[in-house]
Amino acid sequence: MPTSKREKRKIKGGYFWKILWVDLDRAEATPLEFDEAFASKYIGGRGFGAKLLWNQLQKGKIDPLSPENLLVIAPGPLAGLYLPASGKTSFVSISPETGIYGDSSMGGSFGAELRQAGLDALAITGKARTLSYLWIDNGEAKVIPNEKLKGKGSLESEGIIKEDLKDEHIKVATIGPAGENRVRFACVTSDWGRNSGRTGIGAVMGSKNLKAIAVRGSKDLPVFDLPRLQKASEASFQSLRENKNFTFWQEQGLMSVIDYVNEAGVMPTYNFREGVFEHAKKINGYEMLSKYKIGDTSCFACPMACGNVCLVKEGKYRGTVVEGPEYETACMFGSNIGVQNFAAILKANQLCDELGIDTITAGNLIGVLMEAQETGMLSEKDLDGLSLKWGAEEAILETVHRIAHRKGIGNILAEGTFGVIKQWPQLKPIISQVKGLEQSAYDARIAISMALGYATSDIGAHHARAWTIAKELEMGMDWPLEKKADLVIYHQTLRPLFDMLGVCRLPWIELGFDEHRYAEFYSAVTGMETTLNELLQRSKDLYDLTRAINLKLGIGRKDDYPPERVFNLPMTEGPHAGKILKREEYETILDIYYQKRGWTKEGLVDEKKIETFNDPLITT
Amino acid sequence: MSWKLAVVPERCSGCKICELVCSINRFGVNNPKKSAIQVMVIYPHPIIRMPIVCRQCKIAKCMENCPTGAITTKDGIYDIDGEKCISCQQCVISCPFGAIYLHEEIETPFKCNLCNGNPRCVEACPKNALLFLPEHVLGQAQRMTSVLKYVHMKEVEYVEKGERKVLRYADIEKGKAED
Repeated sequence: MPTSKREKRKIKGGYFWKILWVDLDRAEATPLEFDEAFASKYIGGRGFGAKLLWNQLQKGKIDPLSPENLLVIAPGPLAGLYLPASGKTSFVSISPETGIYGDSSMGGSFGAELRQAGLDALAITGKARTLSYLWIDNGEAKVIPNEKLKGKGSLESEGIIKEDLKDEHIKVATIGPAGENRVRFACVTSDWGRNSGRTGIGAVMGSKNLKAIAVRGSKDLPVFDLPRLQKASEASFQSLRENKNFTFWQEQGLMSVIDYVNEAGVMPTYNFREGVFEHAKKINGYEMLSKYKIGDTSCFACPMACGNVCLVKEGKYRGTVVEGPEYETACMFGSNIGVQNFAAILKANQLCDELGIDTITAGNLIGVLMEAQETGMLSEKDLDGLSLKWGAEEAILETVHRIAHRKGIGNILAEGTFGVIKQWPQLKPIISQVKGLEQSAYDARIAISMALGYATSDIGAHHARAWTIAKELEMGMDWPLEKKADLVIYHQTLRPLFDMLGVCRLPWIELGFDEHRYAEFYSAVTGMETTLNELLQRSKDLYDLTRAINLKLGIGRKDDYPPERVFNLPMTEGPHAGKILKREEYETILDIYYQKRGWTKEGLVDEKKIETFNDPLITT
Repeated sequence: MSWKLAVVPERCSGCKICELVCSINRFGVNNPKKSAIQVMVIYPHPIIRMPIVCRQCKIAKCMENCPTGAITTKDGIYDIDGEKCISCQQCVISCPFGAIYLHEEIETPFKCNLCNGNPRCVEACPKNALLFLPEHVLGQAQRMTSVLKYVHMKEVEYVEKGERKVLRYADIEKGKAED
């Protein structure tokens, strides 16, 4: 780029102005430069991903598992910097699981390394001729065929590639056998257990014959005013350390949430039928601390160290070691399927990591089969000879294996919710899912804002966009619907902003970290004085873009409903026994929500608004 | 009195904040690869993370092997003199810990110089995995731990002027099960 153009820019840091466009068909990589108007409007992370996908969709329909699908891996302008928890990267693609917009953010250090390689994002299209990995050495890309990696586990592959490239310090994102076999909820793993878990990005990589992406970067990250960033960051780190829950959080991480949700009566139990698990104490954070935890792990630049490394020292799962479990895994492979043995949860977690499977979806679907077996909706023959009773550890582990290798019943489950419904239409009412994405581990029937959050999340029933359950429980059920809709929209605006910037949401949601600090970071890094409200507006606009993508792919009001059972299946125990959501009330809050977003009653985005995304800011 | 930077690897969670702080203070850039302390994570599983940093050895192999006398010492702190250094990298391979680093954009190897007696990484570490201690205190924490374990320390709570306090005492009936 000519110097004159560089000097004229008002954004003076935060970007390398380079997206690497990798065409696997031709084994070619071309740098794609972008303008500051593009950087300003879409910021980075899922913002870059959504815009690039939007452009791709203008060329025609995309089958998620075809070479035409685009995979964008984008950290944000704050990723890799000296500020709390700057280790997040978004993986964005058309989801093989839902067929609509999909993204999932990964922690660890992969994003920071990608930035140090001098890249703001990677965009990958096409399909390699044989199983290969992509090696990015300080911005230079090479496609390296390696058939030896076939069938190898995610963590194992990370080791093989590090050995191949003779560098222990590089960062590698891999898929396991599940990704290779295009299991529609396969994940991408890095740093031995940090996952981009949801929406099946691993299957997209598998369909491209792309086993892994290895990165080494050593460049200085562009920061306009480093002393100003340093000052803001030091105060930020200090504020986190002064929080009274800081040490407790380091000890337990997300496992501390288990006691809270169980007491609140919203723990996913027996396929989301109940909200209280009688054996919760056997799978909570204290159980982990007293018998299994052997170390903490952090993502890049994160003082909170919420990762737990656990080891099983005795019994039949002896020798199992895993980074985890996270709260979601402990519930989905614990209470949701009746498992009360913490060691078995660790074993399942390890297996899913190595095979490359999303633990939330796997635990959810296994729960569905268990209920179906219990109620006689499916026979043992349907279940491929597996005795899937609540808590049946061996059958659970065997099912996970079969999913990854698409054996027998595993081949049906590997197709995700839509595949299961196609095979057994009678199961549709008992699957907790939205838009084909299986619900994550918070109940939705007692908090209408949580139901609305799941139902209007742009990727399906995942809590990452809006996690309002705690606030609603705290504020009481009589809180006006208007306010609840506002709360959902605020979450759906702020939380995706974190994914655009490349930072983690946990300092904010868990330790009350002031979100205004991100505007200060952004201003210091880019040299553009920007307020939090301005950043939030860009995130809110982006929600219209992901909605526009989904509308184009056939989504409408009919798809913005929470899982069926929140309307018709009351819990029998706990503080919320007997409660269900009222359908009319949900219709009302959905109307309010659309109105506040400026969408029509059918959930459509204004045509003029959509036109603003057809900007020529980047051509691909 | 010389001070030492000591590492407690079992506390380290691998967040790399020490690397960031070092690169900013040492080189004025945000670049963990330009840090004189770097965290090693060992495959196959990150059970241990060890920040590798110069121990300011009294018998310094790097200094012994430097052919140009570029490694100098002052008050027990070793540093590399960029004027004399020919970047042969002998010191890098001589250090038994691998605590001398290279970067493609920096001409000569670099190592920890304890920020002139105030190592910034120590205060920045959120897990207290880095300690900066007078040399003669090294090992004292372990001694204390072993003593406390032996005497079975117990605590008794009491209230003084409305304030909750704790008194620790050694249980002489050591080994007896807690009541």
